[in-house]
Amino acid sequence: MNKIESPEESRKLLNKIVFDLTRSIVKKDELTRFWFFILIMFSAVGLWGWGIQIDKGLGVTGMRDYVSWGMYIANFVFFVAVSLIGFLISSTLHLLNISWSKPISRVAEQVAIAGVALAGIIIVNDMGHPDRLLNVFIHGRFASPIVWDVSVVMTYLTISVLLFYLPLIPDLAILRDRMGDEVPKWKMKIYSILALGWNGNAKQYKTIYHAMRVLMILIIPVGLSIHTVTSWLFAATLRAGWDSTIMGPYFVAGAFVAGSAAVVMLMYAYRLRYGLKEYFEDIHFDQMGKLLVFVSLLYLYFNVNEFLVPGYKMKAAEGVHLLNIFVGRYALMFWSVQILGLILPIILMLFRFFRKPLPLTVISVVVLIGAWFKRYIIVIPTLEHPFLPIQNVPAEFHHYSPTGIEIMITLFSFTAALLIITILAKLFPVITIWEYAEEKGIDKKYFSEQPKS
Amino acid sequence: MIKKINLLIVVVLFFSVQQGISQEWLVPADKQNVKNPLEYNLENVKKGKEIFMRECKSCHGEPGKNNALALTPAPPDVASTTMQKNSEGAMFYKITTGKGIMPSFKATLSEDERWLLVNYFMNFNPKKSPVLVVAPPVKATLSAQVDADKKLVTVFAEFKNKKGEEEKLTETPVNICIERAFGNLPVGQVITNENGAADFKIPNNLIGDEEGFVTFVVSLGEGFEAKKVVLDKAKVGTPKETPKLIRKGVIWSTNDNIPMWMLLSYLGAIGGAWITIGYVVFQIMRIKGMSKG
Ligand code: HEC
Repeated sequence: MNKIESPEESRKLLNKIVFDLTRSIVKKDELTRFWFFILIMFSAVGLWGWGIQIDKGLGVTGMRDYVSWGMYIANFVFFVAVSLIGFLISSTLHLLNISWSKPISRVAEQVAIAGVALAGIIIVNDMGHPDRLLNVFIHGRFASPIVWDVSVVMTYLTISVLLFYLPLIPDLAILRDRMGDEVPKWKMKIYSILALGWNGNAKQYKTIYHAMRVLMILIIPVGLSIHTVTSWLFAATLRAGWDSTIMGPYFVAGAFVAGSAAVVMLMYAYRLRYGLKEYFEDIHFDQMGKLLVFVSLLYLYFNVNEFLVPGYKMKAAEGVHLLNIFVGRYALMFWSVQILGLILPIILMLFRFFRKPLPLTVISVVVLIGAWFKRYIIVIPTLEHPFLPIQNVPAEFHHYSPTGIEIMITLFSFTAALLIITILAKLFPVITIWEYAEEKGIDKKYFSEQPKS
Repeated sequence: MIKKINLLIVVVLFFSVQQGISQEWLVPADKQNVKNPLEYNLENVKKGKEIFMRECKSCHGEPGKNNALALTPAPPDVASTTMQKNSEGAMFYKITTGKGIMPSFKATLSEDERWLLVNYFMNFNPKKSPVLVVAPPVKATLSAQVDADKKLVTVFAEFKNKKGEEEKLTETPVNICIERAFGNLPVGQVITNENGAADFKIPNNLIGDEEGFVTFVVSLGEGFEAKKVVLDKAKVGTPKETPKLIRKGVIWSTNDNIPMWMLLSYLGAIGGAWITIGYVVFQIMRIKGMSKG
């Protein structure tokens, strides 16, 4: 980073950066309204489905005695997974001083907040009596992974929100000081309250650096725990396909794959929609592509372990389960996910061309879809094969397939997550302005100057 | 060739199964009119009733009450015309051979026993006069008390005689049960004396609930219409031991016997995280105050 000495140049560049990065806040056109309309409508339809479910009970889902965890839990695992990217990019890479990751931090944090918030909601989705969530706190057993999961989801959500907020404070001050009539009054009010009277003195910067550092370190164990504990929900049972010692790292590696793909998609959307070509540059996509290859390879390695080792032994129940997903009912889904969602992307992304923005985004979409179905394969087939034979039950109990209402509610979780991300993007810059400007060599003292109009 | 034989077997099987399920139950002509070797009298009907109650009631229900099991085809009520239009020989034949769900009793009941059943069935035949008539139940009142010190349940019973006067119910069996989680457990029977009273000696090893409380249910047997007496919990039993279902040694456990290290790890991890969060929030709050300096 080379410092820009001339004040004129500094101010000019800063103005441009602020102008570009606040476009997402200022921009208001048909497309914005249409997007909000779509999201709100689909969310409302999903909520309506949820209303039906609460009214009629879980019988409206495809879940029965044997498969009692269906699409909701698969979806829950998916959202927890996606949210984990926050800790990888905005904490680990930050602490390692990897500078290309800095403009991406806030995008990753958006994904983390939306993901973990929805993960919490989906758990409630899965309950026939949502009011009984309280029982987890009143009667919960401290030795139960469910209690650990609830605790750690709440902790991670809190940390993610704080980690989003902390680097935002100087930005909020910039917005408060520089934005004018183009931003509605209520937004300005939010900025001024949340900016906490920031005026950019050295003490304040010192405090914020310190607090960020503490959070970035804290989020590493918490982030690892959230997905490890989620994996323990499965691994702590004796069921074929879940009873595995590498579930924790297997889930964490898979989470990075899903999260990186989500971040790439979001970066591309911002780049296109808010004209941020100079900010989410080709090099960022290139680096994200490399990161995605790396975590995918890691995930592939765990997949080989997870399937080859039990497949080698073919223990009775495990064998039934494995045959079911290798050549049985789930074979098509399983092999599509492994080949299209993991192996093929790895091979493609080894070439520079496929790490260019558009190809990488297309690959990320496929990877993300694959990641969702992978969670489905982790959760459901195991439940279809209990150790004791399934007897004297209606035929529909033998296999699970989601009902319309389940799909509606699952769609709701996606639109709601996108809604959270959109609102965040419409309220706050998608890249940390002051960090970015500083990276470009602009001195901190210019940030708190009012621009001459 | 083999294929054809296979096909033939399938076809034959198919038809025989069909026959078994849906067709009229035909009785060969020579079996229709076999004579019942046993006399139709009270003694034989009573014996038949005993066998019926033991072997057949579970499916056919009690005669005249139409409370048979819901099977297809339905087991006909003994008093129904479906049953009674059978000749005695046909009944004997059907009990002997069975069909579909109706088991064959050729091996389980002797020939005489099967004829006794036919005798019992004849008791409900419209063409015959019944020899075994069940008297309408007698209205009676029952009272009972527990004497916890002497460990006795004392019972007293009386009934309204034909003149409408209360009369002591003598020489009558009274059933003593205790309430358990899934129903009443019979623990004994006493016979009332000439005063209509009886004492039930509570056994010493009777197990009660966690504190030794027992609830008695006292009732009269068949032939009486009397309210059961349910006695309040009395402390006359030995306390039930409640074994700990989960051993202390396991990691997954209730909060009562959670391993200490696990509780501390959980609380330590969560507490540590939240204290740190609290610290960060405190730093954030300090920022505001610093804007002056
Ligand atoms: C497992 C249940 C079951 C038991 C036990 C049983 N039955 Fe039956 N019984 C049936 C059924 C079902 C039918 C009707 C069969 C049919 O019509 O295909 C039947 C039919 C009969 C019939 C023929 C009625 C007619 O339609 O002509 C007679 C007679 C009979 N049972 C006598 C007895 C006697 C006597 C016993 C006891 C020794 C007995 N059953 C025990 C199920 C039972």
